[in-house]
Amino acid sequence: MIDTSMYKDDPGYNIQELLDKPYDPELADREYNPDKPMAGRLTDQGPPHFEQFFPEVIKKNYGKWLTHEFLQSGVIKYTSETGDVMWVVRCATPRLVTTNLLREIADIADKFCEGCCRWTTRNSLEWHVTDEGTLKELIEFLNNLKHPGGSYKFPIGGTGAGITNIVHTQGWIHCHTPATDASGMVKSVMDDMFEYWNSHKLPAKLRISMACCLNMCGAVHCSDIALLGIHRKPPFVEDDRITGVCEVPLAIAACPTAAIKPATVELADGKKVKSVRVKNERCMFCGNCYTMCPAMPLADEEGDGVAILAGGKISNRITRPSFSKLIVPYIPNELPRFDSVCKIVRQIVEAYEKGANKYERLGDWATRVGWERFFEQCNLPFTDKSIDDYRLAYDTYHTTTQFKWSSHTDKMM
Amino acid sequence: MADLKKHDTPLLNELKKGPFPSFVDDLETRANSGVQCCYDLLGQLELSYNHKETHWKHGGIVGVFGYGGGVIGRYSDAPKEFPSIAHFHTLRVNQPASKFYNSRFLRKLCDMWDHRGSGICNFHGSTGDMILIGTSTDQLEPTFYDLSHQFDMDLGGSGSNLRTPSCCMGKARCEFSCLDTQAITYDLTMTYQDELHRPAFPYKFKFKTSGCPNDCVAAIARACTSIIGTWRDNIRIDQKAVQAYIGGELKPNAGAFSDRDWGAFDIQKEVIDLCPTRCMWMDGNELKIDDRECTRCMHCINVMPSALRPGVDCGATILNGAKAPILEGAQMSTLIIPFMKMEYPYQEFKDYVELMWDWWMEEGKNRERLGELIQRQGLAHYIIDILGREPIPQHVREPRSNPYPFWKEEEVPGGWTRSLEDFRKRHAA
Amino acid sequence: MAVDKEELKEKIVEFATKKSKFKSKMYIKDLYKADPDAKPREVKNAANELVREGRLEFFSSGSTTMYGVPGFGKSEAQQFEGEE
Repeated sequence: MIDTSMYKDDPGYNIQELLDKPYDPELADREYNPDKPMAGRLTDQGPPHFEQFFPEVIKKNYGKWLTHEFLQSGVIKYTSETGDVMWVVRCATPRLVTTNLLREIADIADKFCEGCCRWTTRNSLEWHVTDEGTLKELIEFLNNLKHPGGSYKFPIGGTGAGITNIVHTQGWIHCHTPATDASGMVKSVMDDMFEYWNSHKLPAKLRISMACCLNMCGAVHCSDIALLGIHRKPPFVEDDRITGVCEVPLAIAACPTAAIKPATVELADGKKVKSVRVKNERCMFCGNCYTMCPAMPLADEEGDGVAILAGGKISNRITRPSFSKLIVPYIPNELPRFDSVCKIVRQIVEAYEKGANKYERLGDWATRVGWERFFEQCNLPFTDKSIDDYRLAYDTYHTTTQFKWSSHTDKMM
Repeated sequence: MADLKKHDTPLLNELKKGPFPSFVDDLETRANSGVQCCYDLLGQLELSYNHKETHWKHGGIVGVFGYGGGVIGRYSDAPKEFPSIAHFHTLRVNQPASKFYNSRFLRKLCDMWDHRGSGICNFHGSTGDMILIGTSTDQLEPTFYDLSHQFDMDLGGSGSNLRTPSCCMGKARCEFSCLDTQAITYDLTMTYQDELHRPAFPYKFKFKTSGCPNDCVAAIARACTSIIGTWRDNIRIDQKAVQAYIGGELKPNAGAFSDRDWGAFDIQKEVIDLCPTRCMWMDGNELKIDDRECTRCMHCINVMPSALRPGVDCGATILNGAKAPILEGAQMSTLIIPFMKMEYPYQEFKDYVELMWDWWMEEGKNRERLGELIQRQGLAHYIIDILGREPIPQHVREPRSNPYPFWKEEEVPGGWTRSLEDFRKRHAA
Repeated sequence: MAVDKEELKEKIVEFATKKSKFKSKMYIKDLYKADPDAKPREVKNAANELVREGRLEFFSSGSTTMYGVPGFGKSEAQQFEGEE
């Protein structure tokens, strides 16, 4: 068992008592007084202590696990030194979930898993069971749960040498600076990659990540394949509106490249107002100015789209962690199913599946065969945009006579 | 319920097809149970799919009273068409470490969020928080009141605060874990509540804890301080199990390659030759490891988890400074403290945190991440002058290739003040 | 030597009010200038106490948090909730 004696006094320690009481929808309306916000207020209590949500088998075997085995994609068997055995079933979720789905999750947890469940770092859902009979029933139950449109509610998979769930950001669902949609792209790519979600047939694990603008609130820069929304047009400046809705100095200060300068401009009616001008060639299309100033929108149907980076990883296994590299600089937003993004991801994954050695991550494969061969085998054009001209560019220059002949040199001969 | 307004969403309907869970179906199912904002959210998303442009605006709301983080303001730019999502703010809620929940908690949370907001969530946001998407300004305080009084929950970090710490599942399930990742995360979260809720820093700050160098929570790519489990004694070997892998009774990598025929397991080719330091060999039927040469990359342990285990003298390797590319380019965390015991109450770690934060608060520019400050003022300066630690070869991938260190005056015998007169006695002008 | 907290709070309010006429939102680093003798952490603690007292307020730029003096600058309603 875990020693939690030092936490006994923490307010977050005994949540069961609170959970015994049903939600009281009127409590806050009764007790909270906006004129006296500090009255009865609880602050800085932090999250509840994690141990209270563990299934019994985990409480008992915490720190005592001996080994694990993937019985099939998405099903893991754990063995403890106490002799206990536990099975875990992993399912995909789209990250964006409603309380309707959460209630269904609670029902499944009650039916099969002593009421417990867990989410992974990559938005998958995990169920814990302690006997094989329940495991079989749970798998069958999950396989039969579908949304009205036919998609699985909780498809099993995401382990081992396959593609696990895509971590992603909000996109057009709920963000003000996205250059593309996140949930729709993830759905489209995962539909297309589904055969890799629920199988172990790749040379190693493959992680796809998605961020809808270059601020990357989902850090995708160390992924086997990164899908990144990009803007390519500087923001508008609405001179007639800017002084009404923005503080000009804040908009200026928000720009990471100091591309925004104050300017006094004359409106159509001859009135002079304090506004700003954007030095377009310095704009890196981050949208920070729009965050501070609603009169500087930058979204644009033709400017916005998707870049694909590849060959990064996080694990320290065999080789050191590495950044993803820019492979495809721009793909237009093709709605609703992001056909070109899906097609290019498939080209990369299939070339990797064919070419890589067992245990070799995508970036290690590309490094071994050479990036010239990578572009060739993925059947992707190499463009000037993949040659770095930003900070630290020199790190990527090719300072050796060792290179391979490829289609790129053939056509020069 | 009679006046529910459903919008036409022909483009989004295409996203109901295919095997992967459809968020459109989930939202529509909820909308059909009488929730207008789910129809409006789908309607506005359909509009974005038509325009290929977002329809959200940012707001300046930061939190509830006294908090400088945890809430993100959102306003629709099409409020007339979609009035129920005109104000649609987000709350970040600090998740329990490693994200285990029970059904009683989830149901009660659903009751609360159905009452106070849209019933739409992210499980979870990138930082690790549980995200409640969509409520109006007047519901923010009551939602917080409910969370704190009826759930013992609190808001997570945003803005230039300490962001909600997160971790892998650690010892709850993983036999590789060298750290009690949840306990560390819980303790740091509780210790630094003030920094988490109120802006203290030049910019965001992140702690992430992974139990082993496989780094399942991506600490090395995302955290200002990455806490990654390691060991300093020997890999534990079960020679009988090694033979079971060689004999094919146990599946390599715990069965992670099961759907493709890679041929019989070959320990030489798949483990020994892939070891980055070549510190393993077979001595007859015995697997030998020269542990002094091992860099603990986890490959052999990942391939033969029933035969090999990390050592028992465990602690953390502490690395600093990871960040996403904006602005100076992406940075990975860099090795600072090769080994630190991580035992409650983590005093040595907290002493180090104080030194680091004091320096960054003093010297960091606005919106400068810790990793960028280390770059700007120098890694050696940070290690030696700020943290008071010895420089060691492990601090660099390779020594610098330019001979231009900035010598300090006190490092040179006699200092920099010298007699020109004496010099000229030896050298004609 | 630690500075007196109440004194520091007055200095911060005075500094922030003066500065608000040009730029209504300040970073915590800007507030350090209110009293060069105070340690960053003391300034932070004092500023956050002022927020609790309602004499300063927070503003979010999304990725960073700023401080403002209530009444200066554009209100949430002016900026984001439509201009009617």
